[in-house]
Amino acid sequence: MNQEKGFFDKLKTYLVFAGPTTFAFFTVILLPFIFGIYLTFTDWNGISASQSFIGGKNYFAVFQDKAFWSSFLLTLKYVFFTVIITNVLAFLLAYLLTSGIKAQNFFRSGFFTPNLIGGVLLGYIWQFIFSNILVYLGKNFNIPIFSSSWLSNPNKAFWALVIVGVWQYSGYMMIIYIAGFMNVPKDIIEAASIDGANGFRRMISVVLPMMIPSFTVCIFLSLQRTFMVYDVNLSLTKGGPFKSTELISMSVYNKAFLSQQYGVGQAQAFFLFLMVALITIVQVYFSKKMEVEA
Amino acid sequence: MKKIKLISLVLSALLATSVLAGCSSKNNESAGNSQAGVAKDVKITFLNSKGEIQAQMEEAAKAFTKDNPNIQVEVIAAPAGGSPFEKVTSMYASGNAPSLSMLDPGDILKFSDKFLDLTNEKWVADAADKSLDVVKTNDGKVMAFPVTVEGAGIIYNKNVLDKAGVDPKSIKTTKDLEDAFSKVKAQGIAPAAVAPMDWSLAGHLLPVAYATQSKDSKEISKFLDDLKAGKVDLTQNKQFNGVLDTLDVLKKNNIDSKDPLAGTYENDQQYIGSGKVGFWFMGNWAWPQIKDFAGDNSNFGFIPVPVSNNSGDYGNAGIPVGVTKFIGVDKVNNNADQQAAAKKFLEWLVYNKTGQDILVNKANVIPAFKNITLEPNDPLGKSIKSYMSSGNTIQFMTILPPDHWKQVGASMQKYLAGKIDRAGLAKEIQDYWKTIK
Repeated sequence: MNQEKGFFDKLKTYLVFAGPTTFAFFTVILLPFIFGIYLTFTDWNGISASQSFIGGKNYFAVFQDKAFWSSFLLTLKYVFFTVIITNVLAFLLAYLLTSGIKAQNFFRSGFFTPNLIGGVLLGYIWQFIFSNILVYLGKNFNIPIFSSSWLSNPNKAFWALVIVGVWQYSGYMMIIYIAGFMNVPKDIIEAASIDGANGFRRMISVVLPMMIPSFTVCIFLSLQRTFMVYDVNLSLTKGGPFKSTELISMSVYNKAFLSQQYGVGQAQAFFLFLMVALITIVQVYFSKKMEVEA
Repeated sequence: MKKIKLISLVLSALLATSVLAGCSSKNNESAGNSQAGVAKDVKITFLNSKGEIQAQMEEAAKAFTKDNPNIQVEVIAAPAGGSPFEKVTSMYASGNAPSLSMLDPGDILKFSDKFLDLTNEKWVADAADKSLDVVKTNDGKVMAFPVTVEGAGIIYNKNVLDKAGVDPKSIKTTKDLEDAFSKVKAQGIAPAAVAPMDWSLAGHLLPVAYATQSKDSKEISKFLDDLKAGKVDLTQNKQFNGVLDTLDVLKKNNIDSKDPLAGTYENDQQYIGSGKVGFWFMGNWAWPQIKDFAGDNSNFGFIPVPVSNNSGDYGNAGIPVGVTKFIGVDKVNNNADQQAAAKKFLEWLVYNKTGQDILVNKANVIPAFKNITLEPNDPLGKSIKSYMSSGNTIQFMTILPPDHWKQVGASMQKYLAGKIDRAGLAKEIQDYWKTIK
């Protein structure tokens, strides 16, 4: 029966089954995206009824904006440290919690919990810890590193952001790694043991290669999430002290809505989109290549 | 096959109606001629961007509905910490603008093609002198309703000052302030707290330097234009240096001087309220929180931020006072009935006894209307009133560029933390102004 159908019949079937989704995709994702790109060529301020076409001036302004580039570099630094620490920590936790220690289900849910708390709330909780609890402990027990609030020093505030980011994401990544560990077939490990491979050798030569898919997913997720982080940044440091921890999303947002230069902000956002797309595509491409079949 | 046809028919019908429904809300604006005397049920929305009076505004909405049973007012809170401009912009973008939007003064005129012209409203004649200047279009149309007058200055806790033997009225210069600080210090009390928030440093403290450039607001605007054009050297500017001299004195006597950026708004309220410090630079909006810590002590007041060591200089006797919030009435997404109801609500706030009572006594708002004779009942409001009645006020800089507090605030924080010196600060401020078009 399928062969008998003409183009219009096929279209009809398509519309019935995929029509609503396609419609939703077009209206809430594709059209706003295209309209957003159009806005980068205008001088719209976010509200006025009229906007005039100004060509590539906004992109020119982006490349001249020192604040944008410094927060872009800061974001790269943040992404670098957060992604590495998160994944190393998550991998170690997953390894520990699949090795059969006592109460491992309890620990699994314990480490996963931070991921369930919304970023804004989490930021406020940590803000209280960094500027009140740690300072209190530091003063009473004479620990110099905690004697003043971490959030009032640009360098320490950056590390506070990294710590909270790692704390938030590593539980989630841990779950994916646990699934990866459990999917490594027992028979290969057994075969390796019989061949005389010790624990470390088994990890390097058997388990790690089998877990590349988990790494692909985890690194992709953590890259994409840390590039786009906004909520923790807002509630933990608000970009301060003196804008030294303003990550890229916040910088874009402030440009568009606070400075009311919507076109420039949109151009920055589009640039950010290109960068994140590029980096994650490269990452997924290369880690896919490394995957092996058992 | 027939079933599929039926389903697709139903689906397309659904789609079509939803599209039509989307259009219909727009059609409202021209339709619906309100006829006087016909009591139709109307529902209006009011975006309140003064979080501290949200409960009182809801109370006002209820009381208003009691007087006008056919009108329902829904009070929406703007997100705390975000700018109301953002919220209103996004509500306009979704075709769902509030009937009444409370905004910062500098944002009102950006909505002049969306807000109703209020020039002919009754309350315009009763508004305080000059209070409507910032919301007038070039051709003189009044675009918004002034909600509240606010003032900022150095708040003092009189109980602490009495203990140290300081008379706040005697502080007229930076030198006087320094002397007062050392007297407080001699009592073993930290003299002052400096709130390190960007909105306080660059939104209220630094603008004193702009506002004291001249008594004439046109001269101040010209000064800002010169800043934009890069023609001003702040290091040579007397008022700028004067304000920074005072900031230096505050900095030296700051309770958080070891870690100046660690101070928080909440802690500072506690310091001044409970008498841990004698002075704090802030505005009257902080009173409800100070009160929580002050117990039954209501001996608080403002002194001006001294800008020089010559007590006769302009600014040494006056505190910045101005209208800091305005309400605009939407004409694009609301029909004529809603617009009329919105105007009625504003009128009710000014002329109805209950409205006045909620505004002044419950919300602690200092109204910008001459016909409201109720006196503010909090000490900071009273202090502002007395500055107003003696004419000792300077312009509250509410028309700075929207990101001034954030960008310049970061530079002020660097100065407060000792990361840059005065020349560095002056350069960063000048560089900021040059980017403003």
